[in-house]
Amino acid sequence: MKWLNILRDRIRALRQREDVINDIDREMRLHLEMEVDANIRAGMSPAEAREKAMRSFGNLNRAVDAAYDVKGGGIFETLAQDIRYGVRMLAKHKAFTSIAIITLALGIGANTAIFSVVNELLLRPLPYRDADRITTVWEVSPSGRHQNSASRANFRAWRDQNSSFQYMAAFSDQRLNLTGTGEPEELSSQFVTPEFFKILGVDPILGRTFLPEDDKGGQSPVTVLSYGLWQRRFGGQPSLVGNTITLNAEKYTVIGVMPPNFQFHIKQRSGTGRPAELWTILPMPVGPGENERGRFLGTVARLKDGVSVGQAAAEMRTIHARLSEEAPQFNKNYSAEVLPLREQFFGNVRRPLWLMLGAVAFVLLIACANVANLLLSLATSREKEIAVRAALGARRMRIIRQLLTESLLLALLGSVLGLGFAWLGIKALIAISPRDLVTLQSVGLNLTVLGWTLGVSLLTGIIFGLAPALHISRLNLNDSLKDGGKSESGQASGSRRLRNALVVSEIALAVVLLASAGLLIRSFVRLQQVDRGFNTDNMLTMVVRLPDSYREDPQVINFFSQALERVRHLPTVRSAGIVNFLPLYGGLGSSTGFKILGRPEPPPGQGPSTDVRVVDAGYFETLGIPLLRGRNFSDAEQREPKHVILINEALAHQYFPDQDPMGQRLDVNMFDKPTPAEIIGVVGNVRYDSLVDEAPPAVYFPHPDLTYGFMTLVVRTDGDPTAIAPAVQREIRALDPNQPVSDVRTMNQVMSEWVARSRFNTLLLGLFAGLATLLSAVGIFGVMNYSVALRTRELGLRLAVGAQPRQVLLLVLKQGLGLTIVGVVLGLLAAFALTRLLSGLLFGVAAVDVTTFASISLLLVIVSLLACYLPARRAMRIDPLRALRYE
Amino acid sequence: MPKDKADLLQGTLDMLILKSLSLGELHGYGVIQRIRQLSDEMLNVEQGSLYPALYRIEQKGWVSARWDVHETGREAKFYKLTRAGRKQLETQEASWDRLCLAIAKVRQAT
Repeated sequence: MKWLNILRDRIRALRQREDVINDIDREMRLHLEMEVDANIRAGMSPAEAREKAMRSFGNLNRAVDAAYDVKGGGIFETLAQDIRYGVRMLAKHKAFTSIAIITLALGIGANTAIFSVVNELLLRPLPYRDADRITTVWEVSPSGRHQNSASRANFRAWRDQNSSFQYMAAFSDQRLNLTGTGEPEELSSQFVTPEFFKILGVDPILGRTFLPEDDKGGQSPVTVLSYGLWQRRFGGQPSLVGNTITLNAEKYTVIGVMPPNFQFHIKQRSGTGRPAELWTILPMPVGPGENERGRFLGTVARLKDGVSVGQAAAEMRTIHARLSEEAPQFNKNYSAEVLPLREQFFGNVRRPLWLMLGAVAFVLLIACANVANLLLSLATSREKEIAVRAALGARRMRIIRQLLTESLLLALLGSVLGLGFAWLGIKALIAISPRDLVTLQSVGLNLTVLGWTLGVSLLTGIIFGLAPALHISRLNLNDSLKDGGKSESGQASGSRRLRNALVVSEIALAVVLLASAGLLIRSFVRLQQVDRGFNTDNMLTMVVRLPDSYREDPQVINFFSQALERVRHLPTVRSAGIVNFLPLYGGLGSSTGFKILGRPEPPPGQGPSTDVRVVDAGYFETLGIPLLRGRNFSDAEQREPKHVILINEALAHQYFPDQDPMGQRLDVNMFDKPTPAEIIGVVGNVRYDSLVDEAPPAVYFPHPDLTYGFMTLVVRTDGDPTAIAPAVQREIRALDPNQPVSDVRTMNQVMSEWVARSRFNTLLLGLFAGLATLLSAVGIFGVMNYSVALRTRELGLRLAVGAQPRQVLLLVLKQGLGLTIVGVVLGLLAAFALTRLLSGLLFGVAAVDVTTFASISLLLVIVSLLACYLPARRAMRIDPLRALRYE
Repeated sequence: MPKDKADLLQGTLDMLILKSLSLGELHGYGVIQRIRQLSDEMLNVEQGSLYPALYRIEQKGWVSARWDVHETGREAKFYKLTRAGRKQLETQEASWDRLCLAIAKVRQAT
């Protein structure tokens, strides 16, 4: 209440200053009159009475002022004054104001844009109920591979034996063919156990989600649709719920529709690589003959109240240790891990994001230093004005407050423009962000972000305003009043030192950013140059998944060989082949154990393992994988199982170092019973899982030996590969009109998606480093320009007594170069310490890379020399006569 | 004439103003007069101190003010104790009494 009254009075005083003062004045004058009356009543003459009253009252104006200080005045009044004054000042120095505002806006805008992403991905709650209680659970493979999928048997054991989780559900992304209405289409489906939706705590907008009884056999299977699919394929008809749709030639009853933004997509562990468009029940068959041991399940779980992630993880490890004792042949040396959901989704982007936020903070600091420098230069022209104010009795605090008000005003104006930049920046970020950062679509300017921007701009206003304000307020009154500080010598050396320090730190900050960006750029280039083992040009890829109606292996083999035959006869097609999983397809590198026949059996869990691919003979030619020894698969071997395999060089090298692998037989654990296959050839290495890691050992089976209904068609063409896509699809359709294809992409697209994140980081950091360099160039230009202006007389004198213009030019350049070199050295020292933070993002280049550091140093020196050149040229052209008369 | 400021402890002026208003509505001049009367002419509050104090008290919500016509036919601003002001007066008087008692005890302790 009290402060409300005060506030009301103060605001009233601000808006109706005259009214308030009149009111006080009137009250006091009436008081005076009463006293005069009383004095007259006491027998004095009117003149005497008035004089006595006046004397007792003291100075009426001062009394009014004192009273006004209580009612109005105070901080609000001076603030209003300061703001009015500041606005006038900024309006007067238009060039200064616009440069300062743009500089600040760039810094604040970049900060706001990056912060909005950080806020969205790392700070905002995930869109599930009590998301911090949800975790994923994975196996850890003996080779230390994290987030390894679990087998059905292990999932069941986890679910039934744990006491840490309220619910636990398994999920697996698979493809389903939708037929019946419109074009046949391959959809990405998430197979889940019924508790899945209960764990995530998201309700459908229509119908219901799964119940435990949906899992029981004997009824038609059910499905829940995504909002997108419901709209796209079924026109958003509510009546669809309760009706059936056809998936993989089977009728599914639609029981519900999820809200628009619902998804649970873990791209690096997804078998489809796409967010699910519908959900179906994951079958969990028990019993002999069922594939209980294949590892393909993801697990999501909700912690019980009061159980921490650490406790749950400890329990899961204990359970898993028991499992490896019970079934050593499958679980030996495997362990389990529990990941909080945020870690699961954004663990891999957290570090780059914080780094980016750090980078933009550097940019903002540089912007602050620039504006501080501008303010200092401007202050010199205001020295006289400020000295006059001080001489008239303004206290130092009052002057500092005035100057700080001006800088805050600048900062706020900068942040308004900065918000505009941020808005554009966010749009650009979304446009260039890797596709797997799906949630980036919802990034925007919200209240948290606006609050952040306001905070940042106030802070920057204080940072860049304080040093100049403190400095100016300390100026020597006499000097300033005498000559207005128009000469370098007359100018306090403190000011020059401060200015130089600001420029040096700008350059140092820019060096750190440039060094980081340089390292990322070099990594990126290395990544592009790495020998991936195959040729990506002119290659088209598409996924063909045969439905379950192709029951028998020969049908499947027949379909693909016919399809290949047709595709190979299309014009411009040079070769074509099939493979179960493309290189860089995304995380599904299966590591499978094998035995070398004739060698002693290794202890469980320690045997050799290999990547397994299923291909046809045309695959190698199409990808350009060389056959190093032996022969390719024959036609007969591609018609029916002959138990032959090709191996890659890595496997040959690792397991047959001084032995001829040809004719050796391997038993790869892909079959129900031991099925040794003979090595008939060795092919070149391919980096399947990632461009970063060396190619692991790999075994290639011909399609008949290990039949998949799910294959990727690869086609090499003469010229643009996309041109042939419709014709290929037509050939597939001609074989089976109900057969969709999906993921039609060129191999170059697949590659570029794989390096998208690396490109994104490089692009962003490069952008910030460029911005930093530009700003520090502007900074050093400003300082040198100013210094030349101050030294006009001195330089003119030098010219007058016979200095060559070239010497003057060098003099100025040398001064600028000195500052630059100090900045570069300091920046390199900081970079040595800081680039280590980048180590996880680098590839093929050390965190302290001499070439990079040397080239960016050189770059900065060149840039700053360029920035010094204009002022230096001006210095060279000073007319000695005019410079001397100038005084 | 006794000096008011030096002799008055901090906050005492507030209490005196509140006390004078507790006997009825007054204008600024009246407050000074009443304090002088009640103190047997010993306390003379200066206008320069009175008004800032009055405005502060008004902002605190202890008194309310309105313009009205004085008995002499002149206009004046009248101040009136609010309920909060009455409560404040009680508190201040109580603590003043405690202070006096304490000081008295200290002085008697010889």
